[in-house]
Amino acid sequence: MRKQRIKVRICVGTACFVQGGADLLLYGDFLDPELLGECDIEGTSCLGGCKAESRDRKAPFVEINGTLHANVTPALLVELLREVAHA
Amino acid sequence: MLEINNQYTLMKRRIDTEVLKAFFAGDLEEIVDTLPIKIIPRERVPNRCCVYKERAMVRYRIMSLLGVDIDRDDDELKPLRKFVQETLAQDPPVLPTLTTISPGCSSCPDEQYHITDSCRGCFARPCMANCPKDAIVFVNGRARIIEERCVNCGKCLEVCPFHAVVHIPVPCEEACPVDAIKKNAEGFVEIDHSKCISCGHCARSCPFGAIVERSGLFPVVKMLTSGTPVVAMIAPAIDGQFPGNLAQIKAAVLALGFAAVVEVAQGALVTAEHEAAELSGRMQAKQGYLTTSCCPAYMELADKHLPFLQNRRSSALSPMAYTAKLCAQRIPDSKRVFIGPCLAKKVEASKIDEIDGVISFSELAALFIAKDIDVREMQPVPPEDTLAFQDCREFACSQGVAHSVLRRVADPEAVRVLPVDGVDRKTVRTMKVWEKRPPEADLVEVMCCEGGCLAGPGVVVNPKLALRLRQGGNVAKVGAIPLRK
Ligand code: FES
Repeated sequence: MRKQRIKVRICVGTACFVQGGADLLLYGDFLDPELLGECDIEGTSCLGGCKAESRDRKAPFVEINGTLHANVTPALLVELLREVAHA
Repeated sequence: MLEINNQYTLMKRRIDTEVLKAFFAGDLEEIVDTLPIKIIPRERVPNRCCVYKERAMVRYRIMSLLGVDIDRDDDELKPLRKFVQETLAQDPPVLPTLTTISPGCSSCPDEQYHITDSCRGCFARPCMANCPKDAIVFVNGRARIIEERCVNCGKCLEVCPFHAVVHIPVPCEEACPVDAIKKNAEGFVEIDHSKCISCGHCARSCPFGAIVERSGLFPVVKMLTSGTPVVAMIAPAIDGQFPGNLAQIKAAVLALGFAAVVEVAQGALVTAEHEAAELSGRMQAKQGYLTTSCCPAYMELADKHLPFLQNRRSSALSPMAYTAKLCAQRIPDSKRVFIGPCLAKKVEASKIDEIDGVISFSELAALFIAKDIDVREMQPVPPEDTLAFQDCREFACSQGVAHSVLRRVADPEAVRVLPVDGVDRKTVRTMKVWEKRPPEADLVEVMCCEGGCLAGPGVVVNPKLALRLRQGGNVAKVGAIPLRK
């Protein structure tokens, strides 16, 4: 059976973009090509996360297969995608 | 130098945002002293030794945001509320642009080369053979550096096959192109303002955040609430700093309460034309090379360290200066604020009557978040006729100024261009030589930040990404994110 593709939506709302989210857009440079091949990545308007920030859930936000993740750094994005890919 | 966005700069942006939110909500004075605790809660896993030190650093950051010169006014008994009252009552002086937080300084050990345990004590001993000062000895079968003899040339590091030699720099000292940063007798950082050119390289390099710029943000937000029309003059580097296109960025700036937004590229056109005419004149008269004059850190460099360049640099004013004069004519009775990536612009602006304030892109970003403005969702401003100065937006990138000038001379092929892309200690040494041996060029373009203004100390976006956003409007080459609707 063909594996499900991973749906990644990187928030490019201003709050996320200027608080580290912009760096995530360089994913072509830090994701390994094999993993990249399994993902459909797109930019999206504000995911609403920034409006409901809490002590440890802050911008930037990324949605992976429908789950919203907070405080996403390039390293964390790689880790999260690996987890999903190997699940 | 550190990446533009690291834990420290992101924290800084967060602090700016919280302070602004409180200001706009009208309760800054009331809550400002609790902000360090709110931002650094007890549960946080600290990056510094403990949450208490982190809170102290947040306090300092708030002081610098209020424009306080921490070197001079570090009264520990004074609550932040008092600082807020003072800044709201009277604008703090603009200069000096940088100040230091000595409790934040790690008093890094002097620059040194050090041989680690990875030394295998090999037979060939290339480190010893290549050391010009006989500073390497072998003790117990391992290489060791005799400090008194070592001149930090780094030869041993280059030749060791096991990478056993490490270079331990003092990041701020290494980044300063003009030796303006020194450690005082206690080992803490100190800036010699008579030498400092306000390039901001030190502040960008210190991983402890012990060197900070004194912000001019509060005078500007005060202006915005005063009722006087305020014109925003946006530097060419702004394209690529935010999601959305330039027309949306302009709309977002207007939404902050500015009465008008004007591209500094308009003034850049005047600069380019002036420099083109000057260059042609010099070449005809065989008077030797001309340097650009738009980088204010370079202007400081020439004034303070390379005085012979004063009659080499173009007499053109900077794009910011021309734009401000233009705005003053067009919208009299207005105030004018420059929004850019540059710290040294504050020094320049302080000498120009038509400019009333300078803020950075990073501070603009904090304003957007505090006011809940999403650039990419903005209705773009109606199209304007920008054809005449469009190409001058490239003033923001290394070689962009030269290109704009060349486009305006009769015979661009004949002009030899020398770009100076980023100024560090070595560049300054090279430039010193020009006094005796002029460079083989007609036009020397100097940008103190490597890559141009896109890499200035006040930017929000990694210059690499900013460049791609400017070129394509989306990051199609990396992925397929349509950043622009
Ligand atoms: S801007 Fe990203 S969640 Fe709101």
